Amino acid sequence: MKSLRRLWVLTVKEILQLWRDRVLLLASLYLFTVDIFLAGSGIKLTLHQVPFSVFDLDRSAASRELIARFQKPYFRFQGYLRSPEEAFRGFDQGRFLALFDFPDGFEEDLKTERQTRLQLLVDTSNAIMGNLIAGYSALIVSRYAQDITLHRLGYTKEMLRRFPLVDLKWRVFFNPNQEEAWFNALSELLTVITMLTMLLPAAALVREKERGTIEQLLVSPVSPLEVLLSKISAMTLVILTGTLLAVGLVLEGCFRVPIRGSFFAFLLITVFYVFTSCGYGLFIGTLSRNLAQVGLLTIIAIAPIVFLSGTWTPPEAMPTWLRSLMVFSPLYHYLQMSFGLFLKGTGWDFLAPRAGRMLGLGVLVLFASTLFFRKRFAQQG
Amino acid sequence: MKLKRILALVEKETLEMWRDPLFLCLALLVPSLFMFLFGYGLTLDVEHLPFWAIDYDQSPTSRDFLANFSYSRYFSLKSRETDERKALEALVKGKIRLILLVPPDFERELAAGRSAPVQALIDGTFPYRAQIVKNYVQAIVGKLNRQKLKDFFRHKGLSEARVEALSEPIRLEVRYIYNEEARSRWSVASALIGVILLMVPPMLTSLAICREKESGAIYNIYVSTISRAEFLLGKALPYFGITALNVLILFLWATLVFGAPFRGSFSCYLFSALLYSFCSLGIGLWISAFVRTQIAALLLSLIVAMIPAFLYSGLLVPVVCLDVSGQVEAHLFPAMYFVSLLHGTFLKGLGWRAQAGNLLALLIYTGLIYLLAYLSFHKRTKR
Repeated sequence: MKSLRRLWVLTVKEILQLWRDRVLLLASLYLFTVDIFLAGSGIKLTLHQVPFSVFDLDRSAASRELIARFQKPYFRFQGYLRSPEEAFRGFDQGRFLALFDFPDGFEEDLKTERQTRLQLLVDTSNAIMGNLIAGYSALIVSRYAQDITLHRLGYTKEMLRRFPLVDLKWRVFFNPNQEEAWFNALSELLTVITMLTMLLPAAALVREKERGTIEQLLVSPVSPLEVLLSKISAMTLVILTGTLLAVGLVLEGCFRVPIRGSFFAFLLITVFYVFTSCGYGLFIGTLSRNLAQVGLLTIIAIAPIVFLSGTWTPPEAMPTWLRSLMVFSPLYHYLQMSFGLFLKGTGWDFLAPRAGRMLGLGVLVLFASTLFFRKRFAQQG
Repeated sequence: MKLKRILALVEKETLEMWRDPLFLCLALLVPSLFMFLFGYGLTLDVEHLPFWAIDYDQSPTSRDFLANFSYSRYFSLKSRETDERKALEALVKGKIRLILLVPPDFERELAAGRSAPVQALIDGTFPYRAQIVKNYVQAIVGKLNRQKLKDFFRHKGLSEARVEALSEPIRLEVRYIYNEEARSRWSVASALIGVILLMVPPMLTSLAICREKESGAIYNIYVSTISRAEFLLGKALPYFGITALNVLILFLWATLVFGAPFRGSFSCYLFSALLYSFCSLGIGLWISAFVRTQIAALLLSLIVAMIPAFLYSGLLVPVVCLDVSGQVEAHLFPAMYFVSLLHGTFLKGLGWRAQAGNLLALLIYTGLIYLLAYLSFHKRTKR
């Protein structure tokens, strides 16, 4: 009972300390709102307004028709080139990312049933976009070619069934319209939570060391575990408030991300995650002597945690040795559970084992930090 | 401006850094660590996507069709159990990314000269990955269909030339320029230099100033004869040395470890990278004018750098492909100019003249940042 009271008092002290640092408060507010909004609305990893140009020796109806199929919002036609020299200057300056080179006699070949060639040059200085451009262009060109074949044979589109072809039918689950904002905003929220939960408790701990207030704690009846737990509980309150704000204002207010599972379960999972992530932060806090070290150590720790979580890089794209390290990133489990709850509507049979593994990591690091903390206490005492 | 006073401060700052070996080591190691993590982590070339094949037909044709996927390096077959419920469950759990469903009568329909449907069920949680999966599946099926069409026309007794022209009227030849095999590792590794040099240096300078603010040592500066400009320069220079070292180290990682080719002018790279580092340090100085605590300085440096460095620099998406608000934001931060300089010098093989515009933009930007830092730093504290 006494222990609970001590915990409560210490928690209140932590929150007050945070509340009085206005810059920190504003920064947190920014992270939970504007930052998530920017991440959600800012970029699209799909084709969007790709500027392209055309070098056309044919200048025929056929070439114009094909060009017209490269439409907004995916492509943006930047006009014809007059000479091949212009092409490389344009690429160098980044005025366009793709260039179609129509040969002389393009239309003539199509009319006389000869196979014709079309060259596509793609700027791959950004390979991600280059790959998408090449893939999508191939699709458009092959559709156009198919129409030409049908036309030649005097068939209509409906008569395509009369060819022995594989007819591919899509169904995209969980995010049928492929709204990138859903994924980007949600993973940014999880990243922000990670950043704050690791940085703030570690900083709070080290500040006590730097100012010497840890001496006061040393002579008081509180145990190391209580000191650490109070920082965690204060952090949990702050993060939950921020999360509610972010979900309400940004995820629902701006992007209409569906919540297909239980929102309560998401909050509960978040509490577990804050506990685990704070554990990592406090471990850093016990290791470092001043705030500069905390900052750099935190960044060193956050970078792999975020990158091994699959927020930006899908696990399939990672080398196998990196992928096997993913289980050590608490964010990996949290991310899976959060996406499950928001987009897929998964239940506890999915959540429970993952939550267990995540909490396991948390208990482990917290145990380690109490141990180290006790050592430090002993050294100082 | 007195050189002597600046040098004295530089010496003091260097000593302080030297005596905190952990900090020194971190300042030198963090950029390299980032390079490795992001360089390996940010490759978005997706391979070995796990998929589930449900084959209701169980015919030679359907097996052939599915073999095209299981033997491709882009996909790897996880299961071929004909249990839709189990497959969907695996999709929900993220164990597989794609289900291919071949309905019964697949072979019979094709043999009868009719088209046969195949269903592809895709995990759309990460839209980019879904798009890539779509592209791969489409490419494989497209190739297959062309072959089937050829066989069909040949069967009808058409001449070989007509078969070619009818099954593939337009042969698209794709040529990748600057990055001939379209390796995302090349473009990411070179651009990362710009991202990292925007993330780390501001932390160093803002921490260096706020450390003094917190410990109260800054009052020594307030009462000393050193001027504001001298103080800012004296603070920036030691960290400039460290960052310059990182400029070279990062270059080595990008070229040697990630294999990115360097085709342009090295002097242009060096000059622009040093200028950019100086600018980046200046951002840290400016930040420190607004904050009192080290932790706030750290958080603010991260916030200022993260979003523009990752999203609006051209690392993931070229700036020309952003919408208007994104483009405006991109132009407000120095990362965009430098990343385009990096892609220019590394992959495009450009020199000074072709990049004059970006260099000028960086120069102006740097001047502006230092002016702002100068104007917002006061020796008399406001109360």
